Amino acid sequence: MSAAAEKFKKSTVPGLILALAKVRAPAKAAAALRRLTGRRGLIEVFVAFDDPSSALAIVELDRRLARRKVDLVVRPVLNRDLAGDPAIEAKRAYAVTDTQRLARRYDLALARTEPLPGNELAFLGEWVAACQPADGTRFAIAAANRIWFQPEASIDRAAMAELFTQTVGGPPPGSGSEAVRANEKIAKRKLVYTVPMASVHGRLFFAHERLDQIGEELDLLGWKAR
Amino acid sequence: MSKIPVDFYFSYRSPYSYLAAPRAFALPGRYDIDLRFHGVMPMAMRGQAVPQAKRLHTVRDTAREAARLGMPFGPVWDPLGDGAKRCLAIGVLAGDRGKVREWVLAVSKGIWAEAANVCDDEVLRGICERVGLNWSEAQAAISDPEIERRVLADTESLVALGQWGVPVFVFSGEPYWGQDRIEDLERSLNDAGLRLPT
Repeated sequence: MSAAAEKFKKSTVPGLILALAKVRAPAKAAAALRRLTGRRGLIEVFVAFDDPSSALAIVELDRRLARRKVDLVVRPVLNRDLAGDPAIEAKRAYAVTDTQRLARRYDLALARTEPLPGNELAFLGEWVAACQPADGTRFAIAAANRIWFQPEASIDRAAMAELFTQTVGGPPPGSGSEAVRANEKIAKRKLVYTVPMASVHGRLFFAHERLDQIGEELDLLGWKAR
Repeated sequence: MSKIPVDFYFSYRSPYSYLAAPRAFALPGRYDIDLRFHGVMPMAMRGQAVPQAKRLHTVRDTAREAARLGMPFGPVWDPLGDGAKRCLAIGVLAGDRGKVREWVLAVSKGIWAEAANVCDDEVLRGICERVGLNWSEAQAAISDPEIERRVLADTESLVALGQWGVPVFVFSGEPYWGQDRIEDLERSLNDAGLRLPT
């Protein structure tokens, strides 16, 4: 590689990314226009139900957004790992310990000490993805609470179907695998590569550990807490 | 009685490691611990592909975190490859000379806030001499197979812990992964009664 090409790759490209990230005027203008036309702000959060960090993100975002004119849309995905990652199992085990620590910061207590097998909870992602966004998100919040923050609560399919009916007011939808795949396409388009990640009007944040920064972003865009 | 060890795994290629370093090296001033530094090979040099989306997000997220911490970030010069290897080798030398803190803080700031090309001998020499490291010794360290073996051993010890990314701290057998988990580590150090009197 020539010296010029090396400099371009190793210094100029990251410099351009940093410079572009500082350009905020278009996002602020778009947010102002959205408010002018009577629309609320929007956070899409990409999650997996077997992931405790996702649960923490859903529950805590829901709590924090209550004082803002901002909607939360939960988008479950199934494929969320880096291709060829040799540490997937280790990461899932560590996520439980890490979320226990993070939850303490928010005065929450994680009810589980072991990871859950993802394939056993895949049906929840399908239900949420197949619903209208508001219904799906309402159920996702209830499900995340039930699975990760309520000790002794049953999380088998029948119990979760009952929770769905209580929360949404009807039976769970049928197969939602296509809807989950649609979420995965949205995630790919938005450059989401892991869970939980939140897209705040196009800007990405780790949803469980950048909650204050998400709040600051909403402030900057004009959706301040009341 | 020997102090309780806290292991600090660090990569020169990781901007999050750069953000962690000043707070990490400040820990022994506030807690009765022995901070043991381990420079490790970057993830991308350990056979793990890093997708473009992750690289892009890391730059943006680090910039926001650096602003929050009041640390400079950018212009940068990615040290992936020989640059990282040279820094790792000199880091071992710096440890042997009791200057690892000064070295790590200076070179990581150079890489992540001053676009220091650490493959360039003159640039690297300047950083070495600024922290009191002999350039001839640094050059020898870069090509010393024993030092390379020590770097690989540190890298393998991270993998053996079941860990993957950096920075990682290990206290009492428990890992704390991320520059934003230092407060959790400190909570554990406090709980263990290791806070030094002020």
